[in-house]
Amino acid sequence: MNPINDRIIFENVSKFYGEGLGVNHVSLSIPPGVTTLVGPNGSGKTTLMNLMTGLVQPSSGRISVLGMTPGDPDRFFRQVGYCTQFDSFPRRLTGWEFLLDALMLHGMSESDAFRLANEALERVRFGDAGSRRIDSYSKGMRQKIRLAQAIAHHPRVLVLDEPLNGLDPMARAESLALFQELSRQGMHLVISSHILDEVDRISDRVILITGGYIVAEGNIHQVRREVRDKPMQVLIRCDQPERLASRVFATNHCVEARLHDDGGGVFLRTGDLDEFYRILNEIAAEGLVKIEAVTPADDDTQAIYQYLIGSEGGAS
Amino acid sequence: MSIYKHEYRAYAGRLTSPWARLGVIVRYALAEAWSSRVTAVLLTLSMLPVIVYLVGIYLANNPMIRMLIMRGKSMIEIDPAYFLKVLQTQCWLALVMTAWIAPRLVSFEIADNALPILLSHPISRFSYVLGKFTALFACLSLVTWVPCLLLFAYQGYASPRPWIFANLHIAGGLLAGSVLWIALLSLLGLALSSWLKWRVVATGAIFAVMFIPAGVGGIITGVLRTKWGFLLNMPVMMSQLWQQLLDVPQTMRADRQLPGASILTVLLLMCGICVLMLNARIRAREVVRG
Repeated sequence: MNPINDRIIFENVSKFYGEGLGVNHVSLSIPPGVTTLVGPNGSGKTTLMNLMTGLVQPSSGRISVLGMTPGDPDRFFRQVGYCTQFDSFPRRLTGWEFLLDALMLHGMSESDAFRLANEALERVRFGDAGSRRIDSYSKGMRQKIRLAQAIAHHPRVLVLDEPLNGLDPMARAESLALFQELSRQGMHLVISSHILDEVDRISDRVILITGGYIVAEGNIHQVRREVRDKPMQVLIRCDQPERLASRVFATNHCVEARLHDDGGGVFLRTGDLDEFYRILNEIAAEGLVKIEAVTPADDDTQAIYQYLIGSEGGAS
Repeated sequence: MSIYKHEYRAYAGRLTSPWARLGVIVRYALAEAWSSRVTAVLLTLSMLPVIVYLVGIYLANNPMIRMLIMRGKSMIEIDPAYFLKVLQTQCWLALVMTAWIAPRLVSFEIADNALPILLSHPISRFSYVLGKFTALFACLSLVTWVPCLLLFAYQGYASPRPWIFANLHIAGGLLAGSVLWIALLSLLGLALSSWLKWRVVATGAIFAVMFIPAGVGGIITGVLRTKWGFLLNMPVMMSQLWQQLLDVPQTMRADRQLPGASILTVLLLMCGICVLMLNARIRAREVVRG
């Protein structure tokens, strides 16, 4: 497949609302998998999602989704599913009617719409609440029916704006599992979320955005490595954490050491991770301490968010 | 947790025509309009004058009743002026229907931020507005040109003399006058409703737009002693237009009569403003930044 036809591409895209900035000079090439948009409120996440779903047109630049543009709505919207963050339903509809009508708006025949609506309800594990009016649904059920609407027509690109908001832990876990499953099937999932620890579990890559500008993009670990002005923190579980700390401090590659609360490990910060690991290998080989586990302690979206956006952000 | 086992496959079935998709929007809108009992009550009330006019036609054409009740005199003349009264009555009732229905079709969806979900389908903003317009136009048709033409047809049937073909211009006037009016009302209703999230306010605004400029126009006409102030007076303007369409003698003094072209220009201008208002408001954008 032509790589362009398998990616969501933003070429120097800017969007202004009058004099207000939506996003500015955004260039992205998003491959299949789960991509998470992270940024504080008002950073431009929803604008970016509206742009890739063709709901708003860029002020400048070019967007293509799997090689298509919204100028060809029949083909474009057949491949794109959008789940908005707002409780936005036409009134008085049942969940079932909402799905059926959404599918018929996509151009499905009534019989196909019937089949696909059933399938979507089953996929989001909606139970038998489809016959009830949406007005009577809980927040979690509304999220689910929106998600069902977004996936019902079998899109290849799924854009989900805060899809985990309002879901209880069980429903959240089910949704995350569904996202992973869809991602494994080769779909593009673009998700915005404030629940960063859960984002970490499913994301293949992260896009950090603030003030309308992309501040970092890529695999979470890659992005973390590129934040060079913040030394990386590593948790080392070992039998003698104090001894390990003093030994590592003797080298010039550790800038901070802090014992773990349970006394069974030590957090070490280093500006040169490769050299740090080399030294750690030497220490292990010397048999000075018995190392049980080495894990990055700030190699996650939460930490990257704090480092890159930090005080500007309103997100948790 | 078990997941529905499913291998990704794109939908490969046939797609329906864009008109069928538009039909979904129309159906939504009609369902919303008729979900309220008030709509049914208004429709029923709008039919009462039709019944009265129907009885009038019956009385005017039934020789026995004319003999018994009217003693042979023709108290009711079924002529263009009679149908002008029908048209005027029904068209102003259509305004009431518009003020009730139009806000239900648009205000709710805008207030609920439902547009992004609807417009993230292969439906353009134009199709969305066209669907709502079609639904409202259809509802207003039920109280305007449909009963007017039914009365015209009944008069043709009841008249002892050949009547229909000699008076086809009345049918044309009824149809043109109704269609112009309800097209304007539909656009105006949708445009105002799209800008006002509160349905009650939108209802009030539809009446206000119709009558407040009429007052201003009356002042202009009185103070400046010019007929052009009537171009802001929708009731006067439409009455003159309907009279011209039905070929009924004008009730206003000759120096107060507006040319048909200027009336049509104002109506077109109003439609244009409504389209611009809809274009500015019917957008998928949910928040400016977020």
